[in-house]
Amino acid sequence: MPSAPDLMVSVRTLFGIDTDLKVPAFSMRDDHVPEIDDAYRFNPDVTLAILAGFSRDRRVMVQGLHGTGKSTHIEQVAARLNWPCVRVNLDGHISRLELVGKDTIVLRDGLQVTEFQEGIVPWALQRPVALLFDEYDAGRPDVMFVIQRILERDGKFTLLDQNRVIRPHPYFRLFATSNTVGLGNLNGIYHGTQVLNQAQIDRWNIVATLDYLPRDEEVAIVLARVPAKNTERGRRLIESMVAVAELTRKGFAVGDLSTLMSPRTVITWAENCEIFRDPALAFRLSFLNKCDEAERPIVAEYYQRCFDEELAQSWLRRPDSG
Amino acid sequence: MATPQQLTRGQQHVEELCAATIRALTGDAALHFRGHRLHRGARPIPVHAPHLRVDSAHDDLSACRGAADGAALRLRLSDQDVHRRLCPADPVERLVFELLEQLRVESLVAPDMPGMASNLHRRFADWSRAFDRSGLTESALGILFYTVAQICWSRLNAKPVGRDTEDLIEVTRASIVPVLGPALAGLRRHRHDQTAFAPHALQIAGIVGEMICAAELEREESDSAGQDEADSRGGFSLLLDFDDESGEGIAAAASGESKAFVETAQRYRVFTTRYDAEVNAASLVRKALLEEYRSRLDECAAAQGINVARLARQLGAIFAVPTRDGWQFGEESGLVDGRRLAQLIGSPAERRLFRLERHVPRADTVVSFLIDCSGSMKTHIESVALMVDILTRALETVGVTTEILGFTTGAWNGGRPYREWMAAGRPRHPGRLNELCHMVFKPAERSWRRARRDIAALLKSDLFREGIDGEAVDWACSRLLARSEIRRILIVISDGCPMDSATSLANDIMYLDNHLKQVVARHEQFGEVEILGVGVGLDLSPFYRRCLATDLSQGLDSRLFADLVTLMGRRRR
Repeated sequence: MPSAPDLMVSVRTLFGIDTDLKVPAFSMRDDHVPEIDDAYRFNPDVTLAILAGFSRDRRVMVQGLHGTGKSTHIEQVAARLNWPCVRVNLDGHISRLELVGKDTIVLRDGLQVTEFQEGIVPWALQRPVALLFDEYDAGRPDVMFVIQRILERDGKFTLLDQNRVIRPHPYFRLFATSNTVGLGNLNGIYHGTQVLNQAQIDRWNIVATLDYLPRDEEVAIVLARVPAKNTERGRRLIESMVAVAELTRKGFAVGDLSTLMSPRTVITWAENCEIFRDPALAFRLSFLNKCDEAERPIVAEYYQRCFDEELAQSWLRRPDSG
Repeated sequence: MATPQQLTRGQQHVEELCAATIRALTGDAALHFRGHRLHRGARPIPVHAPHLRVDSAHDDLSACRGAADGAALRLRLSDQDVHRRLCPADPVERLVFELLEQLRVESLVAPDMPGMASNLHRRFADWSRAFDRSGLTESALGILFYTVAQICWSRLNAKPVGRDTEDLIEVTRASIVPVLGPALAGLRRHRHDQTAFAPHALQIAGIVGEMICAAELEREESDSAGQDEADSRGGFSLLLDFDDESGEGIAAAASGESKAFVETAQRYRVFTTRYDAEVNAASLVRKALLEEYRSRLDECAAAQGINVARLARQLGAIFAVPTRDGWQFGEESGLVDGRRLAQLIGSPAERRLFRLERHVPRADTVVSFLIDCSGSMKTHIESVALMVDILTRALETVGVTTEILGFTTGAWNGGRPYREWMAAGRPRHPGRLNELCHMVFKPAERSWRRARRDIAALLKSDLFREGIDGEAVDWACSRLLARSEIRRILIVISDGCPMDSATSLANDIMYLDNHLKQVVARHEQFGEVEILGVGVGLDLSPFYRRCLATDLSQGLDSRLFADLVTLMGRRRR
């Protein structure tokens, strides 16, 4: 594995974005390079932000609602650059020891000895690796101060347990994804997210927002994922499915619904359609049963608009209707 | 057989569903139905195309769906300002232009929404049938309008008109198509562009307007036309009247504009506040009587058989949010609790060495009930008291702070302020002319357990006189704003519009009504307090954006409580 990128590749050919930019890349793949997903569609703005992170050593945070493919986006950029990428899922129980490292008991020549084992942060810091903190806002703010210094570009990392100072590898990169912008669970759907320390948010050089895609692109993604639907009829079905998803997103934005359909839900629904051969049944199993009971008639209205078909949850089919 | 209240409730459901769909289609959160008309904020949205005028009281959901979809498309695809600028002045031309613009946007329905297309198609077909059946097509004027509508619809949608219609319009069609020809051709071609479409639409409107003018002149000349024609013009003119304020359904609160309120530049006045009082309601009732009332309330509650624990769980799901609250010690798994390590050495079999984070549900909310204690509420007060008592108990179980307030006046017919006003020589625009009486049944600081006897004072209905809602809502809101809870909800329970005979007489009948609207609109805009209206046998939607019409005459049932929970649970917009 080379310790530095040895190629310059054109963004236009690799990602299909209209720019003359060239970015460094590795010529060889190793175990940590994610698999390439050919069906993946890149959002130009976010891709450029992530590429700036890779080529100019910027700390990039991608924020967006669930199911928009934030982590996958970073992984797919890394995959195409052959850049090793390690993804760490944060949660409220990740502790400082796990990130920094701890003394563990190991067997050496039949004897038990304690030995310091590096955590993920010092390990990645010394390699040309992109470290991706997933669900960054789920990490506890007091613990996240561990990475405060490496968020700065030339920030060295001090291992207190070892009296050692680690200088980051010049091709070490740091990314994060989060649902909120560190201001906590404002719209009531992201329980367990933390209010982050603004001094730390301030150290992220680039904050990119990944929203839901335009309708045509989303249809293309779903079709790429569920190729069996790539027929004239299937395409019309998928278009209506995406239209329902868009209505639920707008309904969520105006406060009528408390759940929304992410692109992931649409893909699941399309896959379930293949299993059950009935869009209405698949819809109920993939999304409707996740909704609050009081909101189901509203979702049924959306469904009626896009499919011209009454769901069992529709107000017209309520039990006491004359 | 459904009671009027049940019908109203059903109607409200239909409107909510339609409004939710319109909001999702347009992405505009401020749209909602108020007094059965679509409003954005406090302003009505003009929906003038004749086939979109449905009445949720008589028409079913599928008709309302068509109308809602039409309105949503219109809001999304048509620029209201451009439309208003181009709109001709003549009422007939205006009607035709309005209809054509609506048909234009309806022809643009997205191909991935077949349901919407069929809703619109069905609505137009239903309207056509109703128009025909009402006999309007028998007059020259009616058939002309009908034919133009059908031809344009068919051109824009590239679909043939129905078979019955085809026979009906055949003659008229043959005579007008040559005249309309060029303009008709432009309709479909320019349907994607409002400004390019408008000249063609205006041309058609102009031609139709001229034809109708000519027909009328002819009729005036030959007096023989008789009564029939005049009658049908009468029916037709209903369509032309755009700015009618009718459409108040069976049970909606009557509401309108107050001249006195407008003349005083929207400033609400109070003649004197000297006699206003805020009292502890329990102090107005003898102690022994209070005990008796309380036991009556308890008996009723027991007889109702409402599952308070279940209700509390539902409310808890709405209001309570899990919050981290310290640690839970002595667990068998989790993080090692350093203080227990010595214990491990002392007794190695001991496993409970760990600690876990503790999460407790906490509801940082205050709910205030404001009960209209006007004379007409006397008949409902037992059910209302029972409902409020049960809700209070359930809310307190989940840790929501509650408050019960009431409002009435200190006297009938104006009392002392009215006499003072008379003595002062009856100056113009005196404003509110009565003694306010704001009653506190249960302040937020006292728990239900301690205030339960005071709540029973609600049953002392001879305290009930008249109702001045606006000031009472303001008072309740200011009490809520003084609280530290994050979420503040005010539930106004009322069976009618504000009513005070002296004030209405001295100003005008809508004076208090308009003040209530102003107060509610101000607080809704401010957003610190969520105001919900619960109408007792009445639809309060003219006043409150979020409201529920209830039917308490049949007693309380769990359906009512479920509706109330839904009302409170709906997220703020």
